[in-house]
Amino acid sequence: MENAVIIQFNHVTKQYQNDPAVLKDVSFEIERGKFYTLLGPSGCGKTTILRLIAGFTEATTGDIFIDGKKVNTIPANRRQVNTVFQDYALFPHLNVFENVAFGLRIKKMKQAQIEAKVKEALSFVNLKGYENREISGMSGGQRQRVAIARAIVNEPEVILLDEPLSALDLKLRTQMQYELRELQKRLGITFIFVTHDQEEALAMSDEIFVLNEGKIQQSGTPIDIYDEPINRFVADFIGESNIVPGIMIEDFLVEFVGKRFDCVDQGMNTNEPVEVVIRPEDLEITTREQGKLQVTVHSLLFRGVHYELSCTDEDGNEWLVHSTKKAAIGDEIGLYFDPESIHVMRLGESEEDFDRRLEAYTEEDHHAK
Amino acid sequence: MDKRTTPIAKIFLIAVFLILYVPIFFLIYYSFNSGGTMSHFKGFTLDWYRQLFGDTRMFIIVLNTLVIALLSSLSATVIGVFGALAIYSYKRRAKNTLLSFNNVLIVSPDVIIGASFLILFTMAGIQLGFMSVLLSHIAFSIPIVVLLVLPKLNEMRPSLIDAARDLGASNWHVLSKVVLPFISPGILAGFFMALTYSLDDFAVTFFVTGNGFTTLSVEIYSLARRGISLHINALSAVLFLFTIVLVIVYYFISRRSSMKTMGVRK
Repeated sequence: MENAVIIQFNHVTKQYQNDPAVLKDVSFEIERGKFYTLLGPSGCGKTTILRLIAGFTEATTGDIFIDGKKVNTIPANRRQVNTVFQDYALFPHLNVFENVAFGLRIKKMKQAQIEAKVKEALSFVNLKGYENREISGMSGGQRQRVAIARAIVNEPEVILLDEPLSALDLKLRTQMQYELRELQKRLGITFIFVTHDQEEALAMSDEIFVLNEGKIQQSGTPIDIYDEPINRFVADFIGESNIVPGIMIEDFLVEFVGKRFDCVDQGMNTNEPVEVVIRPEDLEITTREQGKLQVTVHSLLFRGVHYELSCTDEDGNEWLVHSTKKAAIGDEIGLYFDPESIHVMRLGESEEDFDRRLEAYTEEDHHAK
Repeated sequence: MDKRTTPIAKIFLIAVFLILYVPIFFLIYYSFNSGGTMSHFKGFTLDWYRQLFGDTRMFIIVLNTLVIALLSSLSATVIGVFGALAIYSYKRRAKNTLLSFNNVLIVSPDVIIGASFLILFTMAGIQLGFMSVLLSHIAFSIPIVVLLVLPKLNEMRPSLIDAARDLGASNWHVLSKVVLPFISPGILAGFFMALTYSLDDFAVTFFVTGNGFTTLSVEIYSLARRGISLHINALSAVLFLFTIVLVIVYYFISRRSSMKTMGVRK
């Protein structure tokens, strides 16, 4: 069987001259045929990773392997990867056909073969019949598709997408998300998608790498990352969160806002200071008496699918609540949540330790059942 | 913004163009005068043109001028394009310094450039004549080409080069298949600009031309010094017409290339 790992980063650091490092000792593996997303705020190093894979820039230290071969010094034009650029980077002096055929012409393929391949690639991105159009006469969405066709026509092992949807309007963006996901499944090649849009990342990916300040904070499936964020940054960046300081009294018991609550987390030291995350959609509005927390509503926004309430408790912590129920500003209400809704994060836990701890008690769960 | 122009603006514009064009038309008008002077128009004649076209010496001068213009602008375009590429590849500070050096050559007076070339050629032992004129024309055209090509290079997104390399293009392919086609309007503009600069250059040519070799503008100057003759008017008219043709040719070529990149938008 072929090696499942297609790209490997081995302690890669990237530094431009005397500036602080953009990537700090990053290691990861990317498997064949999956949809990966590099997610993070601007300047987190996600585009640098892409440029390192594509070969537009060289790693300061560390090794990069593509398909088992070390590619540190192999230039971009001899790597089996293709990129879809943020600004599409289509050649304005060439028409759609010639743009897509560019890579094939350089390989000196025969004209008949080029025509067949370009046609196939264009039909893959639903642009049949657009061969003779000029680039300037096309809309943003169509240009995007030409850029994708230009990449897939070369049959690369990996396609790199650098925030390709950021220039499109919301509706088109959602549609392209479906199309890209669909395309990746049909082609069966690895997609590495860079974005700062967490919704995009959650919707499309098999696997997400959350990056911040040149480091991978957490990697995992969208569900893992959403439900079990490793630290404050990830919890905050992926979806909206209420994060409050707390103390892990013992396994399954955590204290915050001066009260003790049952929870499902374990494997920490007794009386360890922690941070507690509760997602706004996991908080339910009830009466003051029935609620586990008592808060005062101080603002209310209608968001379409739900109301967004901003509340404060007696300690002055802010609680964001997503609810279909309405409450008036100034109301004193109670908030109810299940023990499963509490997620406890240790301060400064590394991803390895985090995974080990999680695995340890999910195994226990299996034994218990 | 209000797109209508006020009457004053219109009048001003018309006045400016009148002041610029009337002397030329005045000159051309009198080239058809049978009277022999520019003081009053006696009657229509084509004699001056007949004289002009019958003059083989003048024909050779015209030919010289054209050969110099074409050769110098072609070489200047090639050298200037590579110069622009080199300047483009430098980092910002070096880029600005080099660009300033380039621009100094454009703004410095022709007389100084001409005189310095004269000194250079005599010191280097190059005989004044065709070669010296050609070399100096190439030299003063290069900065113009650089100045017209650089903005196109700056306009080009760096991601285009990345994209080409990503698709397997070698350095040569990047240059020939992406960069040069992209900047071709600038190259074209540079070439035509160099052509017109060379055609109408007087000061530099006057310094570096030797005995037995002369171009049109120098010839017109020496004719004018000998006394006003409507011969000059006819010659100027022909030259003016030729320039107009050049402008029209440039217009059509650049429109065709821009139509291709702009596409048909509705």
